[in-house]
Amino acid sequence: MTALTVDESTALRASVHALLADRAGEAQVRSAMESDTGYDAALWAELARLGIVGLIIAEEHGGSGAGPVELELVMEEAGAALLCGPLLASSVIAAAILAAVDDSAAAARYLPRIADGSSIATAALTGLTGTWTPEGIAVLGAPPTEPGGQWVLNGTASFVLHAQNADLLLVAAHGPDGISLFAVDVPQTSVVITPLPTFDRTLRLAQVEFAGAAASPIGEAGAGWSAVERALDVARVALAGEQAGGAKQSLDITVDYAKVRVQFGRPIGSFQAIKHMAADLLLESESAISAARNAARALAEGAPDAGAAISLAAFACADAFTTVAATSIQMHGGIAFTWEHPAHLYLRRARADAQLLGTPAFYRERYLQQLGA
Amino acid sequence: MTGALLADDASGHALLGAEVRSWLDAHWDPALERSAWLGLVVEARWAVPRWPAEWFGRDMSDAQARVIAAEFTRAGAYGTGQDRTNLWANTALSFGTDAFKREFVPALLRQEISMCLLYSEPGAGSDLAGIRTNAVRDGDQWVINGQKVWTSGAATADFGMLVARTDWDVPKHRGISFFFCPMKQPGVEVRPLRQITDEAHFNEVFLTNAVIPGVNLLGEENDGWRVLQTALAYERSAMGENARGPRRAASNGPVAASHEVDLIELARSAGCLDDPVIRQDIARATALRSLNALNTARAKAELAQGTSSPIMSLGKLAMSRILHEGARVQTAILGAATLLDGPDHPQADDANFLTLNAYFTSIGGGTDQIQRNIIGERVLGLAKEPEIDREIPFREVRRA
Ligand SMILES: Cc1cc2nc3c(=O)[nH]c(=O)nc-3n(C[C@H](O)[C@H](O)[C@H](O)COP(=O)(O)OP(=O)(O)OC[C@H]3O[C@@H](n4cnc5c(N)ncnc54)[C@H](O)[C@@H]3O)c2cc1C
Repeated sequence: MTALTVDESTALRASVHALLADRAGEAQVRSAMESDTGYDAALWAELARLGIVGLIIAEEHGGSGAGPVELELVMEEAGAALLCGPLLASSVIAAAILAAVDDSAAAARYLPRIADGSSIATAALTGLTGTWTPEGIAVLGAPPTEPGGQWVLNGTASFVLHAQNADLLLVAAHGPDGISLFAVDVPQTSVVITPLPTFDRTLRLAQVEFAGAAASPIGEAGAGWSAVERALDVARVALAGEQAGGAKQSLDITVDYAKVRVQFGRPIGSFQAIKHMAADLLLESESAISAARNAARALAEGAPDAGAAISLAAFACADAFTTVAATSIQMHGGIAFTWEHPAHLYLRRARADAQLLGTPAFYRERYLQQLGA
Repeated sequence: MTGALLADDASGHALLGAEVRSWLDAHWDPALERSAWLGLVVEARWAVPRWPAEWFGRDMSDAQARVIAAEFTRAGAYGTGQDRTNLWANTALSFGTDAFKREFVPALLRQEISMCLLYSEPGAGSDLAGIRTNAVRDGDQWVINGQKVWTSGAATADFGMLVARTDWDVPKHRGISFFFCPMKQPGVEVRPLRQITDEAHFNEVFLTNAVIPGVNLLGEENDGWRVLQTALAYERSAMGENARGPRRAASNGPVAASHEVDLIELARSAGCLDDPVIRQDIARATALRSLNALNTARAKAELAQGTSSPIMSLGKLAMSRILHEGARVQTAILGAATLLDGPDHPQADDANFLTLNAYFTSIGGGTDQIQRNIIGERVLGLAKEPEIDREIPFREVRRA
């Protein structure tokens, strides 16, 4: 897909915004987060119909064929709305892995179902430590013992996004050739998926135990992690967009409140203690937007500094979202200490997003290495 | 040729780029004197492409001006883009009479006239509308009495942009006028002040029956506050993009952001590049610079598309954080070495100098607190602080 014109990206953004305003307002987010699956299946179907679920999947596989720039824009809207669902897990990470591995049969088999929303896929890449590095992988893949036999997986993956809702797991496992990727259909009896209680109630995570699970290798044996890394870059851009959108929305809510809440006979926004916090937060949230969009552009262009741009976005957006969401509660006062007020939902999401694909400190270190230090 | 003749699209931009390239090929010579080179740039109408054709410009769009700037950068030449960066010329163009503009604008664009800002006074800093320097009309000239302070570059300036009170019986914002004040005259006395950096760039300026020709009034009498807002906006946006680098890198004035201290190299040479705490610090400080550059680029792109951008007003606040944080990390890297100072200890001298000079940006041109007020009120739309002196005649305003 070629770069969108200003008008096209405005239109894409507007259509997602309108749908989420209508179907993913605060009340709907709250009912989704309290439901078993953690998302609204009807909204998911609508997002699929609009081409958002298959946004970055190639047109030949039934997707919209969009790139990181469009993905980032959509994720800003998703983050602003605190959209619940497997967008990051299935439409971004799983789809990007299947695009990154050189395996046309697997792509043809799985991507159309992911694109139309009928299949929910997720990637099991992290072990119990939750680090997004090869050292974190705690699953072993054993080759077939007889001709025509199956690969089997043993071990544990944790912090797996939406595994409880998935019918396809893409698993990174150590094997005889190094790290390889496998497709595992679920449910199956030798895979136990245990939902984990999450601090961010809009998120779904699970632990996955593989006890001799039947698995099909995808892509080249031993080349799994490089495909994962390429896919993770797409995911980092998406997450940065979500964080930037979340930060902006959290600030907008706060500024609106500062205009209407009156104390000492004047709006609290006229107090410098509040006004100055708001000004600092605007710098944070605008910088996050710039960083996320720049990372998306660099990745789309295959720019030589794309890696550093992505790392910069990863920690700048994580820090911005957490700072904005945390300060927002202080600026609101007691009202924001209530469960009914949305401020804590943003803080919960911000804290989760800041860990999901690696910590800000991890990305600062990575950024420095990418700058040559 | 003016902008209207070249289409503002990809093919027009390509033609424009080629025209600039061939002009630079024929004329650019790094050995030329600054004002001689700028003279050529002004004459060829590359200095202020966005300005009207009748005033040295080409009526060009932002996109076209950036095509020209890109060619100048490629050639290593300077002098274009002054329609954004030249505070003095822009203020003169916006508010001067035609006679005034004919006299001053070309010289300002050739940067032959040295300028200073006569705004702050001992009793009026953040509250600039509280100035007490007095201006009285006397025939076709103005007579000025009062005192200015913190006036950077006053000792060498030919002219100062001056705000003075012309009506004391109206509220403070409504009785101010804006002038181009000749500095080399008996009524102007400049006394250098020693700064915390041990330099003496800023000064006290005593105005005693100083005289200003009538044509040097910018804007209408008593409408100087509006002129000042425009001039301040140019100054603040420049301060958000560039800041002065190390003491020895530039003897005076700002240097481009590319002259910034390389913290990675500094840590490498200090032998602490493998310290994980220092590495986190360096990443944070480096990121602040990159983020500001990205914000600025995005703001310009949004302005070019005709959307107004809130980011433009964030740059100065961001830059002050960049400078303070950068100097803090520089100091952390060098450690005890920063106990020493002076030309024999250049790295420490830089860190020490930059630690102090960071206040140039966080106080000068409007303090960080004032910037936050402006962002809160004008960008985010939060209510203003009550101002007890806003609507009363200035004569009745309380003084310290
Ligand atoms: C290096 C340097 C160069 C300068 N060059 C020039 C120059 O060339 N020409 C010129 O005219 N001026 C110049 N200045 C002056 C500069 O613009 C003023 O110093 C600045 O506007 C602050 O005014 P002040 O020093 O009187 O401090 P004050 O206004 O007295 O401020 C004192 C403190 O009170 C705070 N404060 C004041 N009002 C408010 C408010 N409403 N809300 C919240 N906090 C507030 C300030 O932030 C500050 O922390 C320069 C200053 C420096 C440091």
